[in-house]
Amino acid sequence: MEYDAVVVGSGPAGSITARFASELGAKVLIVERRAEVGVPVLCGEGVSQKIDKWNILEGSRWIANKVDGARIFSPDKTMVKIAADMAGNETGYVVYRDIFDQELARSAVKAGAKLMLKTEAKELIIEKGKMAGIKVKQLNDTFEIKADIVVGADGVESKIGKWAGINTTLKPYDIETCAQYTLTNVDCNNNYCDFYLGNKIAPGGYVWVFPKRKDEANVGIGILGSLSEKGMALKLLDKFIADHPELKKGEPVRLIAGAAPVAEPVQTVKDNLILVGDAARHVDPITGGGLTTSLEGGKIAGHTIGNAVKKQRFDKETLSTYETSWKKAFGKKLHRNYVVKEIMLDFDDKTLNMLADSVKDYNFQEFSTLSLVKALVFKHPTLLKKLAPLIKLV
Amino acid sequence: MEKPKALVDETKCLACGGCISVCPQDALLMYGGRAYVIARKCISCAICIKICPVGAICEEGH
Repeated sequence: MEYDAVVVGSGPAGSITARFASELGAKVLIVERRAEVGVPVLCGEGVSQKIDKWNILEGSRWIANKVDGARIFSPDKTMVKIAADMAGNETGYVVYRDIFDQELARSAVKAGAKLMLKTEAKELIIEKGKMAGIKVKQLNDTFEIKADIVVGADGVESKIGKWAGINTTLKPYDIETCAQYTLTNVDCNNNYCDFYLGNKIAPGGYVWVFPKRKDEANVGIGILGSLSEKGMALKLLDKFIADHPELKKGEPVRLIAGAAPVAEPVQTVKDNLILVGDAARHVDPITGGGLTTSLEGGKIAGHTIGNAVKKQRFDKETLSTYETSWKKAFGKKLHRNYVVKEIMLDFDDKTLNMLADSVKDYNFQEFSTLSLVKALVFKHPTLLKKLAPLIKLV
Repeated sequence: MEKPKALVDETKCLACGGCISVCPQDALLMYGGRAYVIARKCISCAICIKICPVGAICEEGH
């Protein structure tokens, strides 16, 4: 084989997988269909500060801003604040995702991985009934890349899993369809990541305002696919901005669209195959955020690949260490938050207002969705009774 | 008469991939940096049209 592993996609999950596999001595190639790693950005660019503990990103070029906390606004503008001083001073960053992704790719390359741009996976190579790499198109050339393991790190629209017979098609109620402006000349004196809930504001989702600097913010919207109509996300985002004078005075320097899986994870391992990141649906179904889980899962995948290469065994059983380990690390959390998502979808605006009002003075111990969910379960054991057993599990 | 198939307006598409991830027929792919509908696979379910955040997909002939 030319390579021990070929990773399709140079996003965070792909790069971190490549890095940790390479560090264990595996020969790894990353293929990226785009011309620049991390570009265009498809992300709200908010991430929990817990990534600091993992020591996977050097320097601070990827950080746009460290926020003081998060504020959630119910439809009647009741504010729930999770501030740094209550949460052990650990909050979150707003990042430059292009630089963020390039830093991760750089660390993969530093560990020995190879990287090809403008190289698009076209199909899987099957030899003697086994997966043996991928066929790619690079500019005008089509050629084969032989590898013992194929890693699908090809994002929300993943084809690798599908080609390998894993049903990765998202149901409309399992996807958030998103649009986002980066607005400049806005007023971000409150250094918080803000979330606005409401069935008229963002059906089945939310609007976010993430400050990148004093006068610049990512202002985006995600709405649930099953509640969406043609072009609704952008229309509702424009309306939200028009209704908020502090944002209305800004001008956009960037417009992006996106899609976030808010689903239960899929099967992530087959003989000679691993799925990571958005392709594996390693995304928090409440927030649609997938950076931390993608990095955590990718690191595990990298270790699994490294060990598989040492043993020269690439069957499902060997690679299943990855699936067992990510389930242990964050599988319960993803499942629990999927249940929370389903329960929340039944709440009308009145209920959201009531819930926000009941926890608005709550002293949150941790900067996480879990601390918020715990508070709500504590205050409303009957309303959220489906959740109680899941909270105890954690 | 056959129902109209989905068609991507490549001047509006921002290449987010949402439509590709929900297509039950695997009839969409990224081509030349934009989403593209393989007409012979499309079953006119319109899921992609509804999901598109910027309204870049319409029914053919509209």
